[in-house]
Amino acid sequence: MNSRRDRYSIIAATLAIALLLTLLPLPAWLQAMWPYWTALVLLYWCLETQDMISLGLAFFTGLALDLFTGSLLGLHALSLTVIVYLALRFRARLRFFPPWQQALSVLALLLNDRIILLWIISLRGDPLPALDFWLPPIAGTLVWPWLFLLLDRFRGAMRHRAMP
Amino acid sequence: MVKARTGTGARFSGQAALTARLMLYSLLAIVLMAMDHRGRYVPKVRSVLENAVEPVYHVVEWPVRALRNLSGQFQTRRSLRHENESLRQELLAQQADLQRLDTLTEENRRLRALFEGAEMLRFEYRFAELVRVDLDPFSHKVLIDRGSVDGVVPGQAVIDGNGVMGQIEDVHLHFSQVRLISDPNHALPVQINRTGLRSVAYGSGETGALNLPNVPLEADVREGDLVVTSGLGDRFPGGYPVARVIRVLREDGETFARVLAEPLAALDRGREVLLISAVEEAAGQPEPVPLEPDAQQPEPEAEASNP
Repeated sequence: MNSRRDRYSIIAATLAIALLLTLLPLPAWLQAMWPYWTALVLLYWCLETQDMISLGLAFFTGLALDLFTGSLLGLHALSLTVIVYLALRFRARLRFFPPWQQALSVLALLLNDRIILLWIISLRGDPLPALDFWLPPIAGTLVWPWLFLLLDRFRGAMRHRAMP
Repeated sequence: MVKARTGTGARFSGQAALTARLMLYSLLAIVLMAMDHRGRYVPKVRSVLENAVEPVYHVVEWPVRALRNLSGQFQTRRSLRHENESLRQELLAQQADLQRLDTLTEENRRLRALFEGAEMLRFEYRFAELVRVDLDPFSHKVLIDRGSVDGVVPGQAVIDGNGVMGQIEDVHLHFSQVRLISDPNHALPVQINRTGLRSVAYGSGETGALNLPNVPLEADVREGDLVVTSGLGDRFPGGYPVARVIRVLREDGETFARVLAEPLAALDRGREVLLISAVEEAAGQPEPVPLEPDAQQPEPEAEASNP
């Protein structure tokens, strides 16, 4: 088994890619349904590794995301902390769900996140977002199985490279 | 291997600790958000940190630029010639307009001098490109690729080819954040071009509409009226087109009519923008007004301020 440090660098690399994906300039229609990459990647690592992901990591990843996207500082930090908390809390159950059920749980987590975001928006007194506000969780759920497989592949490849 | 966690006691305490940490981090996040929202300490720290974040925007921009260059490479000669032709015609038409504008500007200057008017402003435009349109979909900010090294200052007006887009809010080294006029927290002093009626245009949170709430019920406003900046408030120079009135609602019992206007600038589509900076030009001098238009006179001054 490769060392803890190696595994952390893999996690950091995937999170960095998720961040770049988030920042990618896109046409408006695609942007409206662009999945919450950082959350999906964090979720994957939550489910697939034993206590590598902590709430602190989620919090600081969220802060970085806030900084990069220019959103209210603490917004993504809160959202990712809650997502990771729920994932860690129900990790044992989520891990052994069949894929479609796991995807549904991911949908539930992402929708819950949107509700928290909605709460913050209304606290700020901003106008409520349009209906396409609910598209990213759906897109995220559709992307989830493929992302899961891709990250599994990636992790496998890294492991083989680390230990020939 | 897997850390040994035996016994339900240890497990419960683990979960309790997890919940406790959730509470801690949530509280921290909420405090940060509140401070950021109220503008205490956090925005300063944030703008310092955002300088460090800049290189990442370059990295993200790179594939997009590469793609655009590539599509430019593959443009056919014919389509380029076609484009060139139409651009030349457009330029000619605009030059004709400009010729008249020159004489009008001169006339205006002379009149102002007669009235011993205050300083007259001349404007310089600087080209900039949007880097990202959607920083936070609810805050209506965009990022442009000009920063403090290019002499951008907070509060500067940003327009595109059709109308006013917004104003500079945060300036970094090579980037600046622009708050769009559609932001619900943005107010822009305007007037109706046809009648000169003054109002304030507030963002509605949607890129397709601005609200003009304080227009008197009996005021002469019609659909299709052009809304231009009034120049009040010292932020935006006057006379730039902002929006076109699309709806006027007059309800009985209300003091004000509700006026909705559609921004002329491509707030959600445009890529190229112009930054306006005012170059002060002393026009109220008592010296006799020269009949020959001396357009060369303010040039050295302008060049001095242009790095």
